Amino acid sequence: MKPLLSRTTKPFIIYVLIILVISIPVYYFVVDAIWKGELDEHNTTIARKTAYEFNNLKLSDAALEKSIALWNQIQPGTDIEKIPFNHVKKDMFFTVEKQKTFASKPEIERYRCLKKVIYIHHAPYLFTVETNIEESQETVAAIALITVFFFVLIVVGLLFLNKKLSTSIWKPFRHTLDQLKTFNLNNQTKIEFDNTDISEFEELNQSLSKLIEHNISVFKTQKEFTENASHELQTPLAILKNKLDILLQDEDLTEKQYQITEEMNKALTRSSRINKNLLLLAKIDNSQFDNTEIIYFDRLLHQSMEILQEHFELKNISVNENISSSVKVNGNSSLTEVLINNLILNAIRHTPPDGSISVTLTDSLFEIANSGTEKLNTDLLFKRFSKLSADHSGSGLGLAIISEICKFHQWKINYTFENNTHIFSVMI
Amino acid sequence: MKILIIEDETELAKSISEYLSGENYLCEFASTYNDAMNKIEFFSYDCILLDIMLPDGNGLTILEELKRQNKQDGVIIISAKNALDDKISGLQLGADDYLTKPFHLSELMARIYSIIRRKQFNNSNVIKQNELQIDLLAKTVSINNKTIVLTKKEFDLLIYFVGNKNKVISKSTLAEHLSGDFADMLDNHDFVYAHVKNLKKKLYDAGCEHYLKTVYGTGYKWESN
Repeated sequence: MKPLLSRTTKPFIIYVLIILVISIPVYYFVVDAIWKGELDEHNTTIARKTAYEFNNLKLSDAALEKSIALWNQIQPGTDIEKIPFNHVKKDMFFTVEKQKTFASKPEIERYRCLKKVIYIHHAPYLFTVETNIEESQETVAAIALITVFFFVLIVVGLLFLNKKLSTSIWKPFRHTLDQLKTFNLNNQTKIEFDNTDISEFEELNQSLSKLIEHNISVFKTQKEFTENASHELQTPLAILKNKLDILLQDEDLTEKQYQITEEMNKALTRSSRINKNLLLLAKIDNSQFDNTEIIYFDRLLHQSMEILQEHFELKNISVNENISSSVKVNGNSSLTEVLINNLILNAIRHTPPDGSISVTLTDSLFEIANSGTEKLNTDLLFKRFSKLSADHSGSGLGLAIISEICKFHQWKINYTFENNTHIFSVMI
Repeated sequence: MKILIIEDETELAKSISEYLSGENYLCEFASTYNDAMNKIEFFSYDCILLDIMLPDGNGLTILEELKRQNKQDGVIIISAKNALDDKISGLQLGADDYLTKPFHLSELMARIYSIIRRKQFNNSNVIKQNELQIDLLAKTVSINNKTIVLTKKEFDLLIYFVGNKNKVISKSTLAEHLSGDFADMLDNHDFVYAHVKNLKKKLYDAGCEHYLKTVYGTGYKWESN
């Protein structure tokens, strides 16, 4: 994860780099063209000036020939040559590269040349002039060097500004984020966002405030509903249960009547359990549980195993424990307890007498395997009120609750059937 | 023993009082918050059964009032809400116990029994019945002054029976008491039978009379005069 600003900085820097790299040849061509233009102008001026000076000398033809020959000898880079009238051509501008003749080291020099016809004493002469210009590689290197310098300047400046800006501009955003992190729907503490003069952040804060307010009100209604539903259902169940307890005290009760009340008692216990389980599911759905506790998973597991020990013994189930010590996870411990109990109870209920159960716990896996005969229907497994077996004593919600608790904790539950063994594994 | 039942559901209040009657328990009712406030101001009770959802107020306020007046009445909250928050705040405000609806009357009676015991016989927490003597604090049982060793569950069962003297208690009720929430998730309640059988045997072997009777094959009753 990278902060937002560094994400924008990188493309910016790459963009600047590309532009600057492109600018190097562009600068070169532009500078070169200006240079050549200036030199051509300069060369033309020299040609004109030379012709003018010669004409001004008012020499005789012979003296002129001599002077031109002398000129050609001592004036480097220029040449005057007599040409016939019919060879008169237009001015020619071109660039040549050649070895420096007088330097000790051989070096390539670049020259801008002009071939121009000038008229001395009304006769045409071809005037050739060469002027040294900067070598292209030197120009490019200079431009590139300057470009790199500016690039470094831009990058350093950008990084510096980023650092400065990220602390000041993002301050209200950070504050909002901190507030959100501490917000817990369970506590329903109101959030106060700082005022900011940046319109986006202000908009964000306002939307968040609205969202949170709405959530709190929905959460409250749902919580109230589950609690009211609980109250409304538990009270008649309580009345029924208590009436049965009183009926049981009747001295004229026959054994048959007693058996009937006992059956009613069992059915009542089951319906109150279904009711409790539905409320538990509703509460998990509404995220009414805190998930920030540290759970000592192995301790909870040992505790459940101890409580259920007698039920293993009663069915003569052999238990194979493989529990790592000090397994700590984050989540809700009472829900985790429900998960563990449900899974173990499930295994006890569906293990035939004299069967075996194995419980495994590692840092990342909680697994319960029990012997069985037939694979369960995986499509219906975690659905509410789905009947997986002919046995009707369960509430039909045990596995649905297990699955919801896993979802709540973002754990992954998996069921497999191998070698006549049901395996439920939870990746914690 | 005077008990105040603060409960707006009259059927529930009637059942509780009917079950508690006899055995020295005298029940009074309050079905509204105001009614309850008046009663606790003028009288004192051995135990108050408090429903926290009342039509005209919250039962927790009554608890606060009791605390403010420094009353020593034992309080058991009876609530349909199984909310942990309520449990914690109720117990913090000075309630002695918390029972979630629906509950068995035998469970309620056993809890009332132990609260009254605790409140009234502070240090001599000993129950005597002829040759049988139970020390609630030390959690020991002796017969003819000879201590017998009971498991935690057997001791728990014994207190439950003694607290429900002369009442028939069904096996499924005992299963709920012993295994709490997941009693019905287990196929059978044979584990109850096993515990009761062991308890009976230990008591009888040590020379205790047969106070614990089996009724209708699967129910039990602790008989004493």
